[in-house]
Amino acid sequence: MNKGPISRSVVLTLGLMLVLALMLMAGCSKKSKVETDPAASTTVADTTQTIPKPVKAETEAPVDKSPDYATLEPGDYGVGDVFFDFDQYDLSDEAMGVLSRDARILKEAGVTVLISGHCDDRGTVEYNLALGEKRARAVRDYLVSLGIPAGNLRVTSYGESKPFAKGNNEAAWAQNRRAHFERP
Amino acid sequence: MAFLKNYMLAAIFALLLLPTASLAQGRNSEVVLDITKSAFVKTDVLIRDLDVLSGGVESADAAGLMNRIVANDLLLSGLFQVGFSEENPDSLEYEFTIEGTVEGPLRDAEQTGENVPITISLNLLSYPQRQLLMNKRYRPLPSQMRATAHHFANEVIYWLSGEPGICLTRIVFSRGEGGRRDLYVVDYDGEGLLRLTANRELNLCPSWSPDGSEIAFTSYRDGQQSLFSLDTSTGKVRKVIGLDGLNYGANWRPDGSELVLAMSETGNPEIYRITPQGKIIKRLTVSPAIEISPSWAPGGRDLVFTSDRTGTPQLYVIDSDGAGRRRLTFEGRYNDSAAWSPGGDKIVYATREGNYTQIVIMKSTGEDRRVLTDSRWGNSEDPSWAPDGRHIVFASDRSGVYKLYVYDVVEDTFRQLTFGDDPDITPAWSN
Repeated sequence: MNKGPISRSVVLTLGLMLVLALMLMAGCSKKSKVETDPAASTTVADTTQTIPKPVKAETEAPVDKSPDYATLEPGDYGVGDVFFDFDQYDLSDEAMGVLSRDARILKEAGVTVLISGHCDDRGTVEYNLALGEKRARAVRDYLVSLGIPAGNLRVTSYGESKPFAKGNNEAAWAQNRRAHFERP
Repeated sequence: MAFLKNYMLAAIFALLLLPTASLAQGRNSEVVLDITKSAFVKTDVLIRDLDVLSGGVESADAAGLMNRIVANDLLLSGLFQVGFSEENPDSLEYEFTIEGTVEGPLRDAEQTGENVPITISLNLLSYPQRQLLMNKRYRPLPSQMRATAHHFANEVIYWLSGEPGICLTRIVFSRGEGGRRDLYVVDYDGEGLLRLTANRELNLCPSWSPDGSEIAFTSYRDGQQSLFSLDTSTGKVRKVIGLDGLNYGANWRPDGSELVLAMSETGNPEIYRITPQGKIIKRLTVSPAIEISPSWAPGGRDLVFTSDRTGTPQLYVIDSDGAGRRRLTFEGRYNDSAAWSPGGDKIVYATREGNYTQIVIMKSTGEDRRVLTDSRWGNSEDPSWAPDGRHIVFASDRSGVYKLYVYDVVEDTFRQLTFGDDPDITPAWSN
């Protein structure tokens, strides 16, 4: 290799690169102006000019990313309902799985929720109010055993009077045999 | 028809025994008609158009209204057949006639537009002798017309049967869907529907106080199920009791001094007697079972209620101290919502057969069980007795939506009481 002053080919390459860079910069600065005449000669942009960036105030509070639990329905932040067999109030394995997940969310949220028990409309209004309460209490007791403070869990029952699905069939009835979480 | 002729002779003979002076107050103290006997023969009554002596359209309308309501009341009682003229297609053999007069306000009073009472005079006479048996005079305001007709019909029924009529009684119930159900009241003949609450909440299981001054009911105001009471003369609502858990199914003791209800503060529903001010008098049940739906016997000494201590809900009787508990129902896997008859001799309740509930009636000893409704009736629940011990109101979804129906125990007939698209449930019949 020639170790003397920079070779001609290198100078040429560098020069080409410089010209290219200048042309690119000219092209960039040209975009910010209104395009009137494409044939106009390229003027080299003043490279010392910079587009001012907005200054973010250091004193701004950091954005709170967790939901305001107290104003939301528990279903909206992932607390799922559990379902029951006809005339039963014991928790199935599936129900316990749902409640385990619910417990993690409720621990994080730290708010008081209302557990309401519901029944399908077979049977009497009065007995279904009592059965609905048994369902709600079963859920409450299980959540307490998972570490949720009892004071955060209120319980009520609507029996058959606040159904989620209408219909005289098992599909609707199954939807209505449940314990539901709501904002008190 | 020898039986009918003999009956007519007996009736006329009995009436002739009455002193003619006792017109306004007098009534036949012998029971002429036994309203609960199933082989009962109805009394035929001729209702003539009332004579409008004075007054304009208002009087004529009042006369027509009186006729229609009195006739309907006599028919609904199940004791009478009614005709409107001597020539009648059903060949009714009249024993009595009802007639009277209507006098409207004088012409100048009419023109001043005041709310002037109309004078209505109504008579019950024997037929064909036309002996005056009873006369009643009324001066009702326009808003009191229906009540006036009902009052007179009651007088006729009491005069002839010795039993008070139910023409002025009303039924309170819960109407609405989902979480919004309000209390409504309706006259026993289906007219005069009135809304009592409008609070966007679930209001249900109402119960009349014996004197009609209050309606106790369960509501979820303030997010908690509690027992409230509505003052029927002012419309004001007060909270009676609201312990932790459920507070529902209240019923007044027949003397009006206290209520009984189910409360689950101890962890599962138990039966409690409380004062109208919400103080606990006595807890009647202690068990891990569900114990609900208490209903007083007319003497106020015993109660019928529901317990599922054997695994499914069944009816039991207990006394007001919580002693003497005995099981009443052994047929059917699911029995609830019992109501003791005003005469103390019967209990009506709901039983679940398969997927459907039906209304059952039995003696208060538990014998002679009879199912009143069948599969055509869909679900039938929440029975409540009329004070005559002959009629029962209940809710049924036979039409697709729960509506109220009235059953006549003697006639074994039904009539629809409420109409419309919203479900009607948990009715209670006033005294």
